[in-house]
Amino acid sequence: MDNLKIPATERSPDVDFDFAAGRLSLRGESYPEDASTVFGPIFAVLEPFLDNAENRDIRFDFELIYFNSSSAKALMNMFQMMENAAGRGVRLEVNWYFAPDDETMKEFGEDFAEDLKSVTFNLVATTPS
Amino acid sequence: MSSETGETGTAFNLFDAEERVLASATELEHRLADADPGIRQGVAALTEAYSRSVREQRRLVKVSDRLQHQLATLNQELGRRRAEAEEALDRLKEAQETLVQAEKLASLGALVGGVAHEINTPVGIALSCASHLADATSDLQRLFAADDIGIDDFERFLATAADTSRLIMANCERAADLIGSFKQVAVDRTSSERRRFDLAGSIAETLTSLTPRLRQEGHKVEIVCPPGIDVDGYPGALSQILVNLAMNSVTHGYDPGQAGIVRITAALTEDDMVRLVYSDDGKGIPEEHRNRIFDPFFTTRRGSGGTGLGLHIVYNLATGPLQGSLSLDNLPAQAGTRFTLIFPRQIARAP
Ligand SMILES: Nc1ncnc2c1ncn2[C@@H]1O[C@H](COP(=O)(O)OP(=O)(O)OP(=O)(O)O)[C@@H](O)[C@H]1O
Ligand SMILES: [Mg+2]
Repeated sequence: MDNLKIPATERSPDVDFDFAAGRLSLRGESYPEDASTVFGPIFAVLEPFLDNAENRDIRFDFELIYFNSSSAKALMNMFQMMENAAGRGVRLEVNWYFAPDDETMKEFGEDFAEDLKSVTFNLVATTPS
Repeated sequence: MSSETGETGTAFNLFDAEERVLASATELEHRLADADPGIRQGVAALTEAYSRSVREQRRLVKVSDRLQHQLATLNQELGRRRAEAEEALDRLKEAQETLVQAEKLASLGALVGGVAHEINTPVGIALSCASHLADATSDLQRLFAADDIGIDDFERFLATAADTSRLIMANCERAADLIGSFKQVAVDRTSSERRRFDLAGSIAETLTSLTPRLRQEGHKVEIVCPPGIDVDGYPGALSQILVNLAMNSVTHGYDPGQAGIVRITAALTEDDMVRLVYSDDGKGIPEEHRNRIFDPFFTTRRGSGGTGLGLHIVYNLATGPLQGSLSLDNLPAQAGTRFTLIFPRQIARAP
């Protein structure tokens, strides 16, 4: 499966999916005018990948600074997809990074974690640079 | 439930899961066609409520997205404006710096004018003495050539020669002294060199360079400063302060033709500070201007050459290089203008 690498723009995050290594990440901001421009390509590759990842170790890093409501909904859908995959035996670990002074981003992480039973979800405060 | 417009097949749909639930609910209703009407109605009501809730979610996401988009645009605009404002401020500071530099040059120009005027007098005297001596010498030469020289001719010549040469020497010395002190003032004024200097001497030298300008209008200068106050600091800054204050007295303090007295009183305080009081007996500064005179560009003579930087520079020199303070004293109206400058006799190591 081809890796997916999309550099960040002013309103969309950096996407780096290394499927061979099992390491995926989303970093930056996400407030596109149309959520499908950012999340369409992501779902298009993520879904078939998770369908065939039984017994693999996958790590997904989220380091988001800001996202809008449709991005939040898309993330929720993404976590639901991961939860289903984890239920089928994909070993999934999610790291949710937030700046220590960003309560909102931390709370978003806690909200998402609530619906996850089979995915390992870690809340990680980033060290201020 | 209508499918997302423009999206086909497996295209990305934010509410994919919800739509699938709705689809199966509709199918459930079909399968319940023969069930108890109460159950059918209940399920239909639930489906309807869920469908409305999903519609509402879509609407909220859309509205919220739009608001967040506007916010982001506004933030960008704000950032751009702030950058612009900062840039404008930088440019303003640069312009101000240039003006300060220009003001320095202008006051140096005034100094050079003063120097020329002041040196003219002794040089003029020396020149007329020299020509007088030359005349007397050629007279004597003529008498000598005609072998008609008398003892009293010779004595008169000797007296003239002694007088004129004494005057020539005295005036040349005066000119040399003036040049020396102007040189010091000019160097101090253009450089920001720190050195030890005699307070009384420095004040006198600076005021001397201004005498032609002050004398033109008939103003008198009084300096009271004990000798031997040895200051370690920036004589150039002090000199520029005094020049600015004095020029202000001349331009703002008096009407044309009105003569006044400018006083400078300096002394050492108990805690080794220099306390210098500058005053004139002119019109004074009206109450409503008093807290603005140190602001850059505040001037009451905008039309006639004032930049309003003079006192701003004075204030910066007093609080900067001199590490002291400057205040305008509160005098009753019409009692003239008085400033008090206080600065350490010995400035701290790192200025
Ligand atoms: N000795 C004084 N008597 C009366 N008014 C004064 C005196 N000194 C300053 N002022 C007032 O304070 C104002 C500000 O003085 P400042 O030296 O900063 O500017 P300026 O003399 O007008 O212009 P510049 O010095 O830049 O040519 C003057 O315009 C004048 O109104
Ligand atoms: Mg002035």
